[in-house]
Amino acid sequence: MRYLILLSFIVHTLLANEANEIIQKLDKNIRGESVYMQISMNIKSLRHERTIKMQTWAQGKEKSFVKIIYPPRERGITFLSLNKEMWNYIPKIERTIKIPPSMMLQNWMGSDISNDDMLKQSSLVDDYHAKILKKEGAIVTIELKAKEDAPVVWGKIISKIDTTHYTGIEDTFYDEYGEKIRIFSYENVKQFGKYYLPTVWKILPIKKKNNLTTMVLEEVKYDEKISSQYFKKSALKRFSR
Amino acid sequence: MFELAIKNILFYKGRSITTFLLSYISATFFVIYVAFLDGSHISMLQNSLKVYTGSIQIYQKDYRDEGGYDYLIYNNQKIFNILDKTEGIEAYTSRVETFGIVSTQENSSAMMLSGVNFEKEANISELKNALIEGVYNSYDNCLYMGVDLAKKLDLSLNDEVSFVGSAIESSFVADIFKVCGIFRTGMYEFDANSAFLNRNYFDTLFYAQNTSSYIVVKAKDLNKNDALASNIRSHLSENEKLYTWQELMSAMVEAMKVDSIFGYISMALLFFVIFFVILIYGFINISARIKEFGTLKSIGISDRQIDTLLFLEIFIISIFALILAGLSGGYVAYYYELHPIVIEGMSEIYKDYGIISDEIPTSFNLYTIFCNVGLILFLNLLSIVYPIYYVRQYSPIEAMRHV
Repeated sequence: MRYLILLSFIVHTLLANEANEIIQKLDKNIRGESVYMQISMNIKSLRHERTIKMQTWAQGKEKSFVKIIYPPRERGITFLSLNKEMWNYIPKIERTIKIPPSMMLQNWMGSDISNDDMLKQSSLVDDYHAKILKKEGAIVTIELKAKEDAPVVWGKIISKIDTTHYTGIEDTFYDEYGEKIRIFSYENVKQFGKYYLPTVWKILPIKKKNNLTTMVLEEVKYDEKISSQYFKKSALKRFSR
Repeated sequence: MFELAIKNILFYKGRSITTFLLSYISATFFVIYVAFLDGSHISMLQNSLKVYTGSIQIYQKDYRDEGGYDYLIYNNQKIFNILDKTEGIEAYTSRVETFGIVSTQENSSAMMLSGVNFEKEANISELKNALIEGVYNSYDNCLYMGVDLAKKLDLSLNDEVSFVGSAIESSFVADIFKVCGIFRTGMYEFDANSAFLNRNYFDTLFYAQNTSSYIVVKAKDLNKNDALASNIRSHLSENEKLYTWQELMSAMVEAMKVDSIFGYISMALLFFVIFFVILIYGFINISARIKEFGTLKSIGISDRQIDTLLFLEIFIISIFALILAGLSGGYVAYYYELHPIVIEGMSEIYKDYGIISDEIPTSFNLYTIFCNVGLILFLNLLSIVYPIYYVRQYSPIEAMRHV
């Protein structure tokens, strides 16, 4: 019996380690050392449809900068995330606004993603316990359960990952009560240097059947030197132009 | 039998006075207690209705469940036309509510910004009367802001704040507003999260022309609100949904029902004690009169007539006590309905519970008073059942020999 318990413990630890390793590789594929992207985001809802284009610069988990380049009315709006804090600069009113933590889960620019998603503040690696649920060839299904003290909204994420290149296929997000809230699906994997990344991301909120947000990564550049100037508060206004 | 009952009441003074006083005090107390209980509930409801809710609200279907701009009313005028033709409406107006971030140089906060027609709003809600500083009916980019939100952001009159949110077609909206008026409704959540902007400016900024989150209606007579709601409902399409204030404030109504039930349970414990005191006094009195009943039975008075005698005795005592209790309790209820008790600072302490006034009014309702007094009468009459049964156990001989 003692050996059985020990064996079960070892298997559990190995599976957890393997799950963590997969998640780390996936996270590395998304973030790289640093990454620049140009993204087109199409937002559909029951009554409206609009497209936003933006440029993003990110370095590690703590620093990211986003600039809206389309539509013209919103061009120059910038967002900066630094050490779990977020600011927004709006050229029309020439003001920098600090986004309060309570607003991090609000929808970003009318889309189905939140401020937190946009700036990738919460990390799958740091904030969740990973466990392999299923393996089907190269496709691994991993359950990510929020760590007790992690400042995250999702109680659980079920992530389907293609371990060929460690890219996501689908993430299903559950709230703290176990209710399914939204599905991220990823398509059209492309290679960018040593990294692989799906270039079409679709976000489907479960309760809003008519909503769909589609993000197309039009341009991706990994590990290029990004000026440290992008990650200062002054960048919000400076790079808004 | 009636005369004999009166004679007995006057003769057995101890029992009569005790029963009279217990009935009078308990009934008076009950009437006043219920008047305060109902009065405070009605006051809380009416305050909430007056402040912002109105008696009827009309939404696009699914707005209250799903929320968001997809479920706004996109044709106000169509509903306005229906309301214009409906009798029994004192006033109506539309509101657009949106959420965003309001920010000063140092502080940021989430805020509910409502686009309202200030003039029409004054006929529907208490917003105008809630003004504590500055002006109510402001124009252009002027905000009418809740006092606790202003405190949270450390804002004073004429200070500027920036607002970031989404327009109706989901595009990004940002503007700088000036704080022109500050209000206090007493409802903390409302005062800590809300600000109002005049409708014309709001519509231009948010592309919200002919659109609303909901339309709010004030009935001429709140007692005929349900009939008015049915009338309006019959003209709305299936995509529009009407809610009465009872539905809108169902949580509050339910909480009050529960509060009332607990109130009645506490009172029931008191009545339980009073009932047994009256019963015991009555029983002791009647036990001491067994010989008297034996004599009555021996001269041909039937058991039924003795029952009637005992019933009349308690009925006469009770009816006098309860008429007096109804009058005095009713007077107190009526007086405090007109002149509510004022406890300074109470609204500040209990603002989270929807108390927005320092006044504690009563509710003077004749039907309620009649029912309350009727309940005490019933309990008094019930208290004589066992003594009657007890007397019936004795034959005339046994009764006359009873010591």
